[in-house]
Amino acid sequence: METPLTSTENKIETLKHCAFLRGLQGSVLNSLAARAETLRVASGETIITRGETGSAMYFIISGSARVHDGEVIWAKIKAGEVFGEMAVLDSQVRSASVTMESDSLLLSIEREVFFDALSTDPDAFKAVLHGVLQREREIVSEIKTRSAKLLSYQKELEIGRRIQADFLPGSIPEIENWEIAAWFEAAREVAGDFYDVFRLKTSSHLAIVIGDVCDKGVGAALFMTLFRSLLRASSLYGYTDSAMDKSDSTATTSEVLLNSIVTTNRYIATTHAGSSMFASVFFGLLDPDTGRLTYVNAGHEAPMIFRQNGEVELLDITGGVMGLFPAANYQVETTKLNEGDLIFSYTDGVNEAKNMDGQQFTEERILKVASPESNNTENFIRIVLEAVYEFRGEAEQSDDITMLALKYLPRAPVD
Amino acid sequence: MATLNFMVGQEQGNVSVTVLKVEGDIDAATHKTLQDKAAELIDAGTTHILLDLSGVNYMGSAGFRAIHAMTNMLSGGESSGLSKSPYLKLLNPTDPVARVIKTLGFDVYLDIYQDRNEAVNSFQ
Repeated sequence: METPLTSTENKIETLKHCAFLRGLQGSVLNSLAARAETLRVASGETIITRGETGSAMYFIISGSARVHDGEVIWAKIKAGEVFGEMAVLDSQVRSASVTMESDSLLLSIEREVFFDALSTDPDAFKAVLHGVLQREREIVSEIKTRSAKLLSYQKELEIGRRIQADFLPGSIPEIENWEIAAWFEAAREVAGDFYDVFRLKTSSHLAIVIGDVCDKGVGAALFMTLFRSLLRASSLYGYTDSAMDKSDSTATTSEVLLNSIVTTNRYIATTHAGSSMFASVFFGLLDPDTGRLTYVNAGHEAPMIFRQNGEVELLDITGGVMGLFPAANYQVETTKLNEGDLIFSYTDGVNEAKNMDGQQFTEERILKVASPESNNTENFIRIVLEAVYEFRGEAEQSDDITMLALKYLPRAPVD
Repeated sequence: MATLNFMVGQEQGNVSVTVLKVEGDIDAATHKTLQDKAAELIDAGTTHILLDLSGVNYMGSAGFRAIHAMTNMLSGGESSGLSKSPYLKLLNPTDPVARVIKTLGFDVYLDIYQDRNEAVNSFQ
């Protein structure tokens, strides 16, 4: 049934006001309107789908739609605008999907009908060409605006990356009889991995930290700065018990360590409970004079101690990941490094590096390539890194890679 | 697109326990579906959930975040003061998921059972 909205006059009005057809003669518009079909479509209905072939273009008489590719929305269109015209003009597949955002009324014109009508007027093609070029200019202008926005986001991200770099140690302290090396490689501009090496204020202990915040990108990076800062601040300034003394340091070193872990965990699990963001953290306090290492492993890949006699000790977890459960319990463990021993800690960007077949590098491969006795710590890290690169092949780096190695140098024999 | 399938059962132990069986990979693309399903059950009155993971072959960090969010929803945002959640427990994780649970130390935070009846009766 013809209603005021679907009358031929109304169809002509719709076509006439569409920028794409501006300039067409009345006779051509009449011919198009006569053969155009009116469609009532419901909100949520997808009229054209990206990648499919199609022979019709649609003019919106009333209602609105989004032009999109999956969840990415390219444009919103409304009454008086056209969609699907590109595939009609060049016979290629649809370049985007269009889904109605309200109950709408459309005019549908088939390719054959369109070209038939145009062929009746020698100036019609020129007019349509003009309409197409006009749209192209609008698209170019839109791309320019979006490129400028993108550039501004990229600049912001670059600033974020530089600021985040300040949350990693600028230099590693030099400790007599110890050799220390680290490697950090972010998978994106900003990272969730972190490591830290610093001397405690209250004793000669060296703090060594390696951590991995779940997830990736900006969210992980923000939490990385939080975890790293709280661990550093609470162990440096949060516990100044004068009883902490080099002569009998085991108990008090444990207290400093546990206080730092428990405080950081409780703060994040309470203050940021709604984010459900967590980090796996290995935090050790090393007495460089004796090689004694007091540590907590909060859900992190077990660091490996390569003993000079060829044995390997794994420092398994002593508690769960940090940041989720305020009442989490952590055990403090101790071990001892002897002269010639090397401790290697890493994040899952190493053992879970994937090759093109989706296989993982694994902890076993680290143990296989590792050759602690003939190398210094820098070489040790380089060998693991090269093995990861070779294993990965053409596959993309999917996660941050962080490694930290310390070696207790054998003292030269005294004559 | 990856999806999760759910099967919901109700069991009566010391308390009424909702057994939520998940099938599929719980990753960045699907974890919200799990969270939404839990929210829907909790809105409908569920107070204790036994999460059956026997149909889950992969769980990434997003999955663990979703589980934490579920424990939060069940406790009404209040910390129980306990190291393990009294409201959410896990049933029958597959080997690959059990390995990740162990690496991250999630077994410190959640009880894990192999037997459904034993799990249901453990809720107080």
